[in-house]
Amino acid sequence: MNLKRIFRKNLIACFLVFFVLFNTQLVAQDGKVLFNTKCASCHNVFKSTTGPALGGFQEKENGKWADTKELLKWVKNPAAYMANDAYTAGLKAQFGSVMSSFSDITENELVAITTYINQTYEKGPGGAVATVQGSETEESPNKNVFLFGVISLIMAIVVVVLMQVNSNLKKLSDDVEGILTPEPTPFYKNKSYISIAAICFFVASGYFVSNGAIDFGRQKGYQPKQPIFYSHKVHAGINQISCLYCHGNAMESRHAAIPSTNECMSCHKAIVSYEKGPKLFDKEGKEINGTAEIEKLHKFAGFDPKNPSAWKPEMAKPIEWVKIHNLPDHVYFNHSQHIKAGNVQCQSCHGEINKMDVVSQFSELSMGWCINCHRDTKVNFYDKEKGNKFYSIYEKFHNDIKSGKMDSVTVGDIGGLECQKCHY
Amino acid sequence: MSLFNYFRMKKITIVFTVFIVILSVFSCTNNTEETGTTYMPDMAYSRAYETYATTENLLEKGINYNATPVQGTVARGDMSAYIYKNDSFGYANSKSIKNPVSSLDEKDYLEATRLFLVNCAICHGDKLDGNGPLWKTGDGPFPAAPRNLISDPVAIAMAEGTMFHSVTYGKNMMGSFISQLSTKQRWMIVYYIKQKQRLASGGDVAKN
Repeated sequence: MNLKRIFRKNLIACFLVFFVLFNTQLVAQDGKVLFNTKCASCHNVFKSTTGPALGGFQEKENGKWADTKELLKWVKNPAAYMANDAYTAGLKAQFGSVMSSFSDITENELVAITTYINQTYEKGPGGAVATVQGSETEESPNKNVFLFGVISLIMAIVVVVLMQVNSNLKKLSDDVEGILTPEPTPFYKNKSYISIAAICFFVASGYFVSNGAIDFGRQKGYQPKQPIFYSHKVHAGINQISCLYCHGNAMESRHAAIPSTNECMSCHKAIVSYEKGPKLFDKEGKEINGTAEIEKLHKFAGFDPKNPSAWKPEMAKPIEWVKIHNLPDHVYFNHSQHIKAGNVQCQSCHGEINKMDVVSQFSELSMGWCINCHRDTKVNFYDKEKGNKFYSIYEKFHNDIKSGKMDSVTVGDIGGLECQKCHY
Repeated sequence: MSLFNYFRMKKITIVFTVFIVILSVFSCTNNTEETGTTYMPDMAYSRAYETYATTENLLEKGINYNATPVQGTVARGDMSAYIYKNDSFGYANSKSIKNPVSSLDEKDYLEATRLFLVNCAICHGDKLDGNGPLWKTGDGPFPAAPRNLISDPVAIAMAEGTMFHSVTYGKNMMGSFISQLSTKQRWMIVYYIKQKQRLASGGDVAKN
């Protein structure tokens, strides 16, 4: 009986503790939702945005705001409250606008919001989000090539040794049978060995020399330092910004366009520090301070984070990015033709830019590379609903498709291999 | 030819060959910072001023070159420029301007959708619910909550002209889109947002 009673007591206590814990969590969660819907468009816990930062606001003004009644008065009608209060009037002067009134807010909601603000503030910036560490292990294809090389070398040695053993055995058996054979010449004097080695040497050196000569003037793997450590991985990968947000001209013009400083500032007016992303490293493995890189951008833009409302786009200076993907001057290339008409994805030529911290040239950008793609790529040939109506003029191909002579039309078929298409 | 001379000649050839080999091996570096050399630089690099080439040295040569379009000109195919400036007067009066895009055919509506998804959805969400990947209910890098364009009464009540003014010059934490979207594209996006709001409320729906 005694045991049972203790058990029951504990059970109740457990329930109580659980209930209290669960309850506070509920309040905090409600607070987050309320904060996000009502406050977050103008207020941040840690940073001043459209309105002042709210972290630790209850300690300001000698703890006046800790009184929920006082806070409620302010939130319900800021304009009226401000008339008799120097501090809030000062805030208006600082931020240039008055807070909208929230006349329908209740005291309980306000308590939930302040609880959420205080809890988040105690955790510190980035405390709520576990930072993702950039520790992706990738298997290098070079390792396999090296392994295969070693294996084939061992096989070759085994072949040579076996051949030697074979000839020795043959000589032994010949001696036993009494057949006269000349003394075998050592392998380094053996003419067939020498000629095989010479041919191998010439083929190998010819391969490397001609490859080197072809690569002369190509820039695959070009990975220069940029004026700002801009990580495509953070922007296009983690934050899922479309390539066309910054390089939107790729739809309309020859150039994919480098975004203007104003375009960078459309987000970085608000995002002034790098906190929530993974650690950044340059190609030498040195750690990069993301916030310092954003400050570099602000310097180019002439933007002062302490006085954001004073910034105007006219103050910005262009950033001189280093162009990586360069075609020779004697080649004409048009982005819009490939992206809008051809529906080619950015990644097919530029590689997985959204995984690169430092961009390097992914493709060769050689003529053979262009031509191969033109030979293989099928065009969206004219079908009445979805096709590109421009192709309706290729009458012969339409007839051939109808009669079953062709099943598809490639870029090469419609003139993608003609010299004048790109060189003129 | 004496024997001595023969060996000296051979020595020179050997030294020369070794030198060439060493030189060619060492010239093949794996430096990713440089573009390397080309066979014919005058064919590879433009002598004319290409896009994004710096034009600073033109002034030294006494050539006055201004890359910005002449004031008052309109790009071919674009709508006439927006009349109001980025000030409180312009913001207050922008609501009187009507959206020149009053309806979109299927193809243009698809294009407006694409423009919204590329330019706006990263903050305002692809469902216009103000929860794009840059905000992620406060977990994203953006410090301020983007407006819920589909159910926020302010967004529903906002005149199309005012919305256009905000997209053009930026408002509160939102930046200006004047340098990445043409006038027509901005009006198309405003039309798209309004159309989505109309569809959500189930009320008076125009075409599409």
